[in-house]
Amino acid sequence: MSVLVDKFDVFAGGFWLTLQICVLAAIGALILGAVVAVLRISPVPPLRALGTAYVTIFRNMPLTVVMFFAAFALPALGSNADFLRIPVLDVVFTRLSTDLPYFRFALIALVLYTAAFVCEALRSGVNAVSPGQAEAARSLGLTFGQNLRYVVLPQSWKASIVPLGSVIIAMIKNSALIGFFGVVGDLSATADQLTGAEGYAFIPVAIGISIGYLIMTVPLGALLDRIEQRQAVAAR
Amino acid sequence: MTGEALIVLENVNKWFGPLHVLQDVDLSVARGEVVVVIGPSGSGKSTLCRAINRLEPINSGTIIFDGQPLPAEGRALARLRSEVGMVFQSFNLFAHKTILQNVMLGPIKVRKEKAAVVRDRAMSLLERVGIANQADKYPAQLSGGQQQRVAIARALAMQPKALLFDEPTSALDPEMVGEVLDVMTSLAKEGMTMVVVTHEMGFARHAADRVVFMADGQLVEQAAPEEFFANPRSDRAKDFLSKILTH
Amino acid sequence: MRFTRVAALATATALTFGMTACGGKDAESGATGTTKTFAAGSTMERLNKAQAIKVGTKFDQPGFGLKGLSGKPEGFDVEVAKIIVKELGIPADKITFVETPSKIREDAIVNNNVDFVVATYTINDKRKERIAFAGPYYEAGQNILVKAADTAITGPDAFKAGDKKVCSVTGSTPAEKIKESVKDVATQVVLFDTYDKCVAALDGGQVDAVTTDNVILLGYIAKNAGKYKLAGPNFTKEPYGIGVKLEDKAFRTFINDTLEKAYADGSWKKAWDGTAGKFGAELGAAPTVNRY
Repeated sequence: MSVLVDKFDVFAGGFWLTLQICVLAAIGALILGAVVAVLRISPVPPLRALGTAYVTIFRNMPLTVVMFFAAFALPALGSNADFLRIPVLDVVFTRLSTDLPYFRFALIALVLYTAAFVCEALRSGVNAVSPGQAEAARSLGLTFGQNLRYVVLPQSWKASIVPLGSVIIAMIKNSALIGFFGVVGDLSATADQLTGAEGYAFIPVAIGISIGYLIMTVPLGALLDRIEQRQAVAAR
Repeated sequence: MTGEALIVLENVNKWFGPLHVLQDVDLSVARGEVVVVIGPSGSGKSTLCRAINRLEPINSGTIIFDGQPLPAEGRALARLRSEVGMVFQSFNLFAHKTILQNVMLGPIKVRKEKAAVVRDRAMSLLERVGIANQADKYPAQLSGGQQQRVAIARALAMQPKALLFDEPTSALDPEMVGEVLDVMTSLAKEGMTMVVVTHEMGFARHAADRVVFMADGQLVEQAAPEEFFANPRSDRAKDFLSKILTH
Repeated sequence: MRFTRVAALATATALTFGMTACGGKDAESGATGTTKTFAAGSTMERLNKAQAIKVGTKFDQPGFGLKGLSGKPEGFDVEVAKIIVKELGIPADKITFVETPSKIREDAIVNNNVDFVVATYTINDKRKERIAFAGPYYEAGQNILVKAADTAITGPDAFKAGDKKVCSVTGSTPAEKIKESVKDVATQVVLFDTYDKCVAALDGGQVDAVTTDNVILLGYIAKNAGKYKLAGPNFTKEPYGIGVKLEDKAFRTFINDTLEKAYADGSWKKAWDGTAGKFGAELGAAPTVNRY
């Protein structure tokens, strides 16, 4: 188990990189997922179809395939995803603005894929709000946007938060794939580096990697449990 | 009761799948008129009521409100709805807002009125329906009858040209029906244009200008209440009245 | 040297057909079970009595150990294994080949999953802490693949300026090695799980070079005539050894003796020519076995 101590810096570096892409991807997926959710519940049929098509595609495709498209189809189309070189943000998330585009490609894939699930989590929350609430708002003359903003979303987020949390936890675990698509040094790839190139035994390294992911996911899961308990008490 | 027509339905048809719930319905409601729609359940009377502000879109025919045909979904429709208040069977008060906030939301967000002005009006409306002292509570803390009175105040806060009531007392415990009907009766007396779908024959008898009887999606018969209850012309109306009045 | 996953699939397929014709059959038909005498209690005696042996190799390494359409792994490593097994007096058809990807090679030896490992296995000190190496039986070297028109990159030093980007495979020795030559790992090194993806990135212009063992790179050059070239000479020495249990010195000596015999009688060169030699890689002189 000495590898956990000897190579602590490698584990820590991998943890930091995985945390970075997860934070960015979570923000991106929540924004995009919310947009898609609005499309899916919109009163305008073509927008609804667009939202449904998005979810159908990205929810039903393996993440590896999405990653593959991001890493190899985008360059073939001539894009290095330079729009993600977001000023200010790249001070903390330095990988955003490097010449190597694979961090950005992986980020795009994670966001596109996760947004489909975010959309469905948000929508399940909206469905949990009694349809009478939206009807009453419409009968007062609130527009679709006002209806969402003042009546539906303030009530639906409570029902969305736990499924949303599960989506984010799944995303953190899914991020383990980025090492296969050109991102160097994330938590999972450190396993390959330490066992493959440096010859450490597999099991202690795997334990170290597991600890890294658990540090990210367990507190999130515990937080969700607390929110759920509090809601259960409030509902009593 | 012969004012200028505020609500006009012509040849309105609506299907739920194979079910023809509104069949060639023609109805005209004059300004200031109180029309009570009665009929057996499943007769299409709720659908008729909801079609007037397009909560249920219709398949054919025209609905004209205040001289304008109902617009398609969008801002124009939202504007029209703001002029037609609606009271639902299940109250539908916004569960996350206080009583006062429920009443104030429409005028502030839809009409962009000043909060202070709206607050005064909301409080006086709540006063009127007898709930002013509960203004800061949440809907779940009120009884059904109180909630329905708040819902009426909420609709009135928009200063609508007409009010639609979709079975406003059907979800209430019997002892609370009266308090809601009292508010409705006083509105009727003040000259509010109202379309009321209800099973409360007492209200129809005393407050309505006209009673409309519906069965199987058709508008079977309409008449002044005294005349309708004393001398129903159609067999179906006779049958319906005999069933509810003998109990 | 170790490579994590498959190299060029097309190359691999071509090679598989080639070897079905030449590489495998000689060794198999020549091998017959014979009762030899070995020291009592030795690994050799145990294996000979059992008349069965488990050998760890790669299943995805063109030229060295690749399980293709025939369903049996084929390549230089497989042929070397057959030479050793034959010397143990066990027929080639009694060999069970076990897939040992880079990650689990040490563990496979330590946990007795295999009797020895021939799997493009670079001898290094870190690995010697857990297992022992016989050999080397081949000396590969790391090199750099660039586009044929590229004249800017002539060796690993080209990455020191910080503007050139290079691709390799996650967790591989060449990936670790090239990190020593770059200015900033985060902005210059891309790692994938396969070399195919690296070559795709080279084509797409996201990277300027692909680095790994010369034998792999020659496979890509052979497959795409005129498109790529090696940037310069090998810049590392990667002696491939045969992994055995750390304490089993007698078995290690036996394998070393067998290798020297194979150098002398030409079976070593024959094994090469029928497999990885087809890529055009130089076999060079037989490496001196290291009896540490």
